[in-house]
Amino acid sequence: MDKDSHKVIEESLIREVAAILSRDPGSIEPDIPLHEMGLDSLGFVELLVIIEKKFKIKLMESGLTRDDFRTIRALSSKIGAME
Amino acid sequence: MITLPYSRNKRYLTGIDWIIHVLNYMTRKETGAGFMSQVVMELHGKVDLLQTESSLSAFIKKYPVLNGHTSRDFNLAPYWKIPTAGTDKISFETIHIKDSQKKEAPFDDVLTSLEKGINRPFKNRKEHIVFHLISTGEKSYVAMTFDHLVFDARNAEAFLNIFQKEWEGGEDSGNMTITEPAHLSMWTDKFKAGQRVNRAFIKIAGKAPPRVFPLPSGKNGFKFKILSFSRKETEAIAENAFNEAGYLMLMPYALAASVCALHGIFKVRGISSGDYVIPVSIDTRKQEEITKQMFFNHVSFFIFKAKASDASDFKALLKSLKEQMYAQVGSDLPGDICKASLLMRIAPASLLGSLLKLYFKGEIASFCFSYVGKTAYTSPYFMGNKITNIFHMPRTPVPPGIGIFFQQSNEKLNVILSYLDGMLSADEAGLILTSLKSRLGVE
Repeated sequence: MDKDSHKVIEESLIREVAAILSRDPGSIEPDIPLHEMGLDSLGFVELLVIIEKKFKIKLMESGLTRDDFRTIRALSSKIGAME
Repeated sequence: MITLPYSRNKRYLTGIDWIIHVLNYMTRKETGAGFMSQVVMELHGKVDLLQTESSLSAFIKKYPVLNGHTSRDFNLAPYWKIPTAGTDKISFETIHIKDSQKKEAPFDDVLTSLEKGINRPFKNRKEHIVFHLISTGEKSYVAMTFDHLVFDARNAEAFLNIFQKEWEGGEDSGNMTITEPAHLSMWTDKFKAGQRVNRAFIKIAGKAPPRVFPLPSGKNGFKFKILSFSRKETEAIAENAFNEAGYLMLMPYALAASVCALHGIFKVRGISSGDYVIPVSIDTRKQEEITKQMFFNHVSFFIFKAKASDASDFKALLKSLKEQMYAQVGSDLPGDICKASLLMRIAPASLLGSLLKLYFKGEIASFCFSYVGKTAYTSPYFMGNKITNIFHMPRTPVPPGIGIFFQQSNEKLNVILSYLDGMLSADEAGLILTSLKSRLGVE
């Protein structure tokens, strides 16, 4: 995956997380763990459902580790590799 | 200023508000008191009772909505009739629990007083809030008993938070919205949502009624058991949830632990028919919307089914609950319930109560559950006193008359078991908490 497409995925995830948390996308740091931003179980599942629909991937069957879900950066890097 | 764009004295009820009315009706019919809850603040130090009473009275007087009652409009939509002025007559009960050595009384004594407060019916249909001020040694408790007709749990916390901000001399209640349109349009959308909810409920209900504890005879009050975990224990529980359930899966983890804990008691009792059906209430607002939509109910529900055969296999149970949560978020069942319930407002509470029981063959659920991760009360103080804990004591709707509720305050987890007096013995209630602690990994 090239740098540009990684950036596009990351920016897209930032927008989604910002919408779930009702925050300004500019205030979302991709390296901060999602739970520290205030995401709870419900918000996290909402994000996973959005990712599945948007990137047409099955996260539940993807074999991703728990650490892959921790930050937007880690998640977007994995999504990029799977696309 | 509070925004009242539609009518100064009318607030149409949403479908969820109407479901709360139905649960209130059913609970009152079975127990003599309605669907009420209590938010309790445990404080360090003595509270100035007179000052607390006068400050809260002055604050509540500004909100006539708290003295309203339900009515129906000419278009048949139910609404909340708001009086033109607030009342001076707020009920306050002050209790001093003495201890022979002038120390704090045992928490069980405090809990008994709090139970008396939450089990007392409101005086009339316009009373929806009562305060209980309890002092013992160097500790105080301020408890607000509230009617779920006017507040959901987070709203109750947010309301007290706004009081605290005003007391500190901060901003006033700001741009709060009380009114709501009648939602008498877009019928196709609502009917389609109704179809999807109907199909989902039929699938969850299955052929047999859910596994339930028999309701005790008589109009009993509620008993409560509270587990308060330290910060260290709360972190350990989060770590266990991470290892066993995955990242940010604390809610399904807590639910699975609750099913296991109750399953043990069902097994001992020899109750073996049916699976577990659990409605889980969730907040439909974003965090910063709470102060704008502070009155009435802004919740919806997941409906989970836990197969009795999975209840002894924690891994299988967890997997099933996570899959159901994923599927219900994906299909937006909570959103559909909000839309579909708007259609149900036409049915009187007595009829709608019977209709809801039809799905589950005469029952409603095995137990109620919720997990609230973040408190809406943000100040570390209440009227100058340091808050040491905030917890809720909800009267669970009857049926099922039993619920397990997880909630965090100041990064510390509380678990509340609420059950109808006579439904469980004291030993059984104790066993549920012991089993929960063990399952959460903090024995």
